[in-house]
Amino acid sequence: MSALVLALAVNGLVWGLIIALIALGLSIIFGLLDIINVAHGDFFMLGTVVVLVLTVSTGSYWLALALVPLIGFAVGLVLERLIIRPTIRQASLTIVTTFGLSMMLQEGVRATYGAQPRRMAAPIEGTIPLFGIDYDVYRIFAAAFAALCLVAFFVFLTRTKLGTWIRAVRHDPETATALGVPVTRICAITFGLGTAMALLGGAIAAPITTVEFRTGVDILPFCFMAVIIGGLGNLQGTVAAAVLLAVFEGLVTSVTDPTIARIVSLGLMSVVLLVRPHGLFSGATR
Amino acid sequence: MTAAGISRAAVVVLLAALIAVPLVLPMFGSSFWIDIVAEILIWSLLAASVNLLLGYVGLLSFGQALYFGVGMYGAALSVIHWGVGFWGGLAVGVVAAMVMAAIAGSVAVRLTWHYFAIITVVFSLILYFAAMSAKPLTGGDDGISFSAQSVLTLGGTKFTLADQSVQYYTILLVVAFCYALFALVVRSPLGVRFMAVRENDRRAALVGINVYLTRYTAFVLAGALAGASGALFAFFGRYASASYMFYHVSGEAVVWAIVGGAGSLLGPLFGTGLLIIFREIISAVWEHYLFAVGAITVLVVMFAPRGLAGAWSDLLDVMTRGKPPANVPPSSPSAAPGLPKRAADTTSGG
Repeated sequence: MSALVLALAVNGLVWGLIIALIALGLSIIFGLLDIINVAHGDFFMLGTVVVLVLTVSTGSYWLALALVPLIGFAVGLVLERLIIRPTIRQASLTIVTTFGLSMMLQEGVRATYGAQPRRMAAPIEGTIPLFGIDYDVYRIFAAAFAALCLVAFFVFLTRTKLGTWIRAVRHDPETATALGVPVTRICAITFGLGTAMALLGGAIAAPITTVEFRTGVDILPFCFMAVIIGGLGNLQGTVAAAVLLAVFEGLVTSVTDPTIARIVSLGLMSVVLLVRPHGLFSGATR
Repeated sequence: MTAAGISRAAVVVLLAALIAVPLVLPMFGSSFWIDIVAEILIWSLLAASVNLLLGYVGLLSFGQALYFGVGMYGAALSVIHWGVGFWGGLAVGVVAAMVMAAIAGSVAVRLTWHYFAIITVVFSLILYFAAMSAKPLTGGDDGISFSAQSVLTLGGTKFTLADQSVQYYTILLVVAFCYALFALVVRSPLGVRFMAVRENDRRAALVGINVYLTRYTAFVLAGALAGASGALFAFFGRYASASYMFYHVSGEAVVWAIVGGAGSLLGPLFGTGLLIIFREIISAVWEHYLFAVGAITVLVVMFAPRGLAGAWSDLLDVMTRGKPPANVPPSSPSAAPGLPKRAADTTSGG
């Protein structure tokens, strides 16, 4: 029994780290462009589909994994230019535009890739004993790789010129413009990065989930919970919340059914929204 | 003729056309479309509830499906367990939805903007998951069904919803009544307060309007509209299912309201009609019609944020003044959500 609980907690940790990566993409897009991207879950779905198709056509999962974030970045740039930038002035209506985009992505994938759910073979086979249970090696790799990506992103954000610009625009777009930061381009790049992170999350998760056009619908509420509980725009908070929530849901699932776990975390999210709208981890400075 | 006169005439024509539907459509050999028009009328109330919040008080709710679902289950469960019939079920559904909205709204309207949109989705998701897992009561995804209900007994004749025409006219009566109430409310002092809050909540507060109470009233009324829509849909489909509480249903209602034109009374009815007719026609020939719906949504927000109602008011301007109106730019981000003030003009006529 306790072994099962631990295994579910580890499972939660694995998913938490992957979701953190996706939610972080959602969070930077919100923090910088002030839009709620309802299509973000479908970017994740696109990642799972693209990595499966590329793995089949190139024969190598690793090559596909390397290509997916680049494709995601390009997709994000194009969509930002075509759909987001023209409607950004109507702040609250961007929820509606991205909802339309979400329909297009889901239906577009269903039309081209098909409606059939598929499973993907894990690129690393074998299991290792963990708390008395045989645990998939690939899941351990997925968690480690997602964590590595998260660290790399924070290093990028704090140690490079582009990252500094992104933080500057987040902090105060007008001053950033006055100081010569190309704000419009930074917004586009941020949207591209956020999209790339969602697709990358999908590519990492593809071997441990089903690949079909609907998976984004399940992942989206979870990402939003992480972003809200962590604090809208608070990036470290988002990561912490994603991991905590997933481990929590894993643990609750071991005693009751997953739906109850989901209801409890949604309830927690509404309390946070009402009582601490800047998130659980907001400091005294806010 | 003045713009208001033309609009009033148009409403009369619309009502006459809707009354004529069961008489005229069978002549073209298709009674199938009678049910489609009935469905449009029902769903348009859900779009109207989105419109009441977005177009009149400036709050974008992405969770109206919750009150639709509560209305649906209120009607279905009271008919199944208490045998209250059509009118009783309708009343239970509407009251249940209003109670739900009164509870959820008391906290939801403390928030605005994105936060309001998110909390409404969250509430609807919580109840969606709850309804999905409470299978013995709700039937979950499969839902629960019941038989066609009787509407009226006159002399010895029983009018039941099993008769297509009786069903259609019953739905039309209820829907028309809801729109009449809606029109009364938005023209009352309360409606003026709604719009004052939408335009600038701080200024509204400064002239003595209780912003919280105004938003709360609108939220509960919107819940009633969504509840009426859900209850009618339960009687129409003779079943209730938790799947109608998912946020995609809320999203669709937002799309209908915006395509029709938020901030105009009847705009969402036309938006709903257009997209449902579009669905019926296109889905027969192209399986992936949702792709086109998504594209339409994006294009409308980009190029015609005032929707069909905006096009109509432009047309009225041309007819009454003889010159095309200047293009109204979208409002600045600080104003009410994407709704130019002029969108409210269309309400005076329709």
